[in-house]
Amino acid sequence: MIPLPPAMLLGLTAWGTFAGLDLVSLLQGLFSRPLVAAAGAGLLLNDPEAGLRVGVLLELFALDVLPVGAARYPDYGPGVVAAVVLVSGTSWSQSLGLATLFALGWAALGGWSLQWLRQANGRGLARNAAGLAAGDAGTVARLQREGLLGDLIRSLLLTTIGLALALLLRRHLVLTARFELVTAVAIGAGVAAAAGGAIRSAGRGARLRWLLAGVMVGLLVAVLR
Amino acid sequence: MINGRARAFLRLLTVQGAWSFERMTGVGIGYAAEPLLEDLKSADPGRHAEAAVRSAEYFNSHPYLAGLALGALVRAEYDFVPGPQVARLRAALCSPLGALGDQLFWIGLVPAMMAMAIVGVVAGLGLWSLIAVVAVYNVVRLWTGMWALNTGLATGTRVGAAIGASWLPVAAGRAGLAAGGLIGLALPLSADWLLDGGSSRGVMLAVLTILGGLGLGWRLGPRITSVRFGLMAIGLAATLAWGLG
Repeated sequence: MIPLPPAMLLGLTAWGTFAGLDLVSLLQGLFSRPLVAAAGAGLLLNDPEAGLRVGVLLELFALDVLPVGAARYPDYGPGVVAAVVLVSGTSWSQSLGLATLFALGWAALGGWSLQWLRQANGRGLARNAAGLAAGDAGTVARLQREGLLGDLIRSLLLTTIGLALALLLRRHLVLTARFELVTAVAIGAGVAAAAGGAIRSAGRGARLRWLLAGVMVGLLVAVLR
Repeated sequence: MINGRARAFLRLLTVQGAWSFERMTGVGIGYAAEPLLEDLKSADPGRHAEAAVRSAEYFNSHPYLAGLALGALVRAEYDFVPGPQVARLRAALCSPLGALGDQLFWIGLVPAMMAMAIVGVVAGLGLWSLIAVVAVYNVVRLWTGMWALNTGLATGTRVGAAIGASWLPVAAGRAGLAAGGLIGLALPLSADWLLDGGSSRGVMLAVLTILGGLGLGWRLGPRITSVRFGLMAIGLAATLAWGLG
């Protein structure tokens, strides 16, 4: 396995960190979505195909997630970038399942890390109670900057450690044809996740009819292709 | 005319930056309110001090629509609306703005756009479909943020009526229908694209996993999240693959 050049690793680290920040703290402009994060990583690795395969599969899992306020939801960005590193340069049909397993685990850990950050932000509020009670603009600005910095560090750590683990796995993993079945299970799990989420969101009204119509058209196109 | 809109808008892009369980996005709203309240400092320092304290108190809503609340609350401060009434307005805006934003964006536009991107990738448009989706989405997202802030500042305590009469409720309903149709379209196409060239054994395994996942979801409801099911199913398959080796 050819090692990645430092500039490429730096680019991947920056991209994964940005994806992590985009989830909650900054912009929220789809850059944390698995498909976008993975496609960017694939471009950086000169392997857009790997990025798109990882991205489409993990996006199916993410379609089930509603990132609402206090709920704990997975942070896909940093883990997805690392998963593309795992798949890049390999036969994707053998490595995609394991990369998905890795990305899902990392996304769950990312979700927990967000909760820890929020608790740390709460402790910051307690420390600055006097400034907040006085309406001090400097205190509010400091709390905001500390929160953003905390999320930057969180995303950077998730990306860096995720990339290191992915590189380690890439070096030691021996892929065989058996792992194509792991990939098949991962694809099935992704489709089940997206379908389950879509059925739940649809309820029993017009959205369910639109969902069913979409499935019928999709099936027809897939058969005719 | 209230000054500081551009700075407030930029700060709204990080409104969840200091999210905490105690005040949720309160600190972010306070941070974004600061440039808008600047003129009040010279006009009425006492009122400004009170407004600054109120601005960073508990608040939660959808982040893209937070500008509606921010603008309305700042306008209310300039209109010298009594403090307790400003606090009530703040509390009253949380739930409707959260629910409307979730319907329009998190359950509607985001899944619709991502499903469209999947369809584009599967159709062979590759990265171009993604670039188009991200660009269009961000134009909508930024425009909504600016519209929200301007509408809030223009309407003040009448913001509730302005929201009800705006494009938001209609768009939320339509985005949901679009999401349903596009996710439905993306499901078979993405499965076909990902399984293309695979063995019949692999296809059979994928179909069994889909049925198992849907069955577990039906039996266990929200207790089995997509991540949990994925970790369980793929983890089991990977263990078997290693074990058989």
